[in-house]
Amino acid sequence: MSIFIRNYKPGPLATLYKANIWRLNSTTAESSVKKDEDEEEFRVLDILKKRDKQQKRIVRRTDIQPDRADRMTENQNWGNVWPGPKTFHPSSVPLPLRQGYVPAGQAPPAKKANAELMKIPNFLHLTPPVIKSQCESLKQFCTEWPTLLNSEEAIEKHYPVEVITSDYCHASPSIRNPLARVVTLRIKLSTLDLDKHARDKFIRLVGDRYDSSTDLVTITADRCPMRAQNLDYVNYLLTACYHEAWNVEEWEKDKTEDDMEYYNWDNNASKKSVVNWYLAKRNEQRDLTEDEYRSYDISVIPNAEGYKSAVSSLMNDGESEETVNNYGKAVRKLLGLPEKMVV
Amino acid sequence: MNAIRSIWRAAPVVWRPTSFNCTMRPLSTAPVTIQKPTEQVPTTIELDKLYKRVELEMRGIDPAVLLSYSWFCVAAASHLGIEVTKSWALRKAEKERHTLLRAVHIYKKHRVQYEIRTYFRFVHLQRLTGSTCDTYLEYIERNLPEGCALKVTKIECQKLPEHITPPDNE
Repeated sequence: MSIFIRNYKPGPLATLYKANIWRLNSTTAESSVKKDEDEEEFRVLDILKKRDKQQKRIVRRTDIQPDRADRMTENQNWGNVWPGPKTFHPSSVPLPLRQGYVPAGQAPPAKKANAELMKIPNFLHLTPPVIKSQCESLKQFCTEWPTLLNSEEAIEKHYPVEVITSDYCHASPSIRNPLARVVTLRIKLSTLDLDKHARDKFIRLVGDRYDSSTDLVTITADRCPMRAQNLDYVNYLLTACYHEAWNVEEWEKDKTEDDMEYYNWDNNASKKSVVNWYLAKRNEQRDLTEDEYRSYDISVIPNAEGYKSAVSSLMNDGESEETVNNYGKAVRKLLGLPEKMVV
Repeated sequence: MNAIRSIWRAAPVVWRPTSFNCTMRPLSTAPVTIQKPTEQVPTTIELDKLYKRVELEMRGIDPAVLLSYSWFCVAAASHLGIEVTKSWALRKAEKERHTLLRAVHIYKKHRVQYEIRTYFRFVHLQRLTGSTCDTYLEYIERNLPEGCALKVTKIECQKLPEHITPPDNE
């Protein structure tokens, strides 16, 4: 700067810069002077408070404790540190957790002031040793399952009735769920003591509540508002159906062959014709009544048993290739015809 | 006034012994009569229920939380000596979708779709007695995390009622 001043020649352009240059010089000189004479500082009116802003410092406490997570020992009892369900707290968990979505190549944010970790329910109060110790103390309220009921068959034999109920646990304004009232009773039909007529009537009474493929009767009740009422109702339904099935009404004697639910060969025309054919073959002339036809012992007729089962399966199981073939074979055997030739 | 108060205060001290005895007499006889019924042992013993199978259905909005909860359920069951037969989750969440117009009043071709996803997990337990079942379910339900729901289906097996016997007509 001094060189510039020495070589300075006043000219027409210089007059423009004159004021600026001297002002610059004056400021540099002022700062150097200030350092030397610190005590006699020229007080400047600082309207924008620029100096105060620079001088502000953060006051740090010297007695601040280190993080709790850093002071934890390895052999501490974690169940005492985190005894119950709580929102995540970084100072209580000595794990280097990271959670959060970041662009590729960056590390997710650490545990401190991490809202992602606080949002999700944590299971820090249910660590395996804690579960084990809690279960140990709960074990005194538990009882053993009877050892003799060790298979499905044994359970089904001694306890044939199944009662199915549901409990619900959820967050809602009410703790009661209307679905908890539904009661279902399930029983195998073969475990009920029923004779032929009663079984048939029972199936007709329960209707589509009986499943023939699994042999299960399922009765569901949801019409009452309370579970106990529905349970009573289900038991009532089973009892009522059972005892009604044993009743024989007057009109039930009018049941004809067309009303039968399955084909009984002994009651049908097929047996009559077989017996007639057999008697004619042996040159016997006999007039048999209906009951005599029914009770006629077919074991005396050769191959009649096979014919009976073939006809029954054809009528009961429906017409299929297998049943029709069986029927053909049985007829050939009964009449003493040769086997079908396969060309 | 103070004198009256002092008499009032002193008075109970004088009559207390007599009044105490009077009240004690009926009381002392009363417990003797009460004790007799308590000595009677209840004749009917409440039998434990038998649950053939217990099915837990958990549903929630976060599959990770449900997974942790099912781990907890299975661990608790194994510590309590309960047999766990099955534990599985549905492959996909159940989605409840609502389709709305993007602009409220016009532009019918432009829609926006919102969905609510519900995740499911199932655990099947078998052969629990009534007290075990109550203890276990209480423990599990108390530790149910936020945002999860639990449905417990209990299949209880019972004896055939005595009145279900064929009627004897003759």
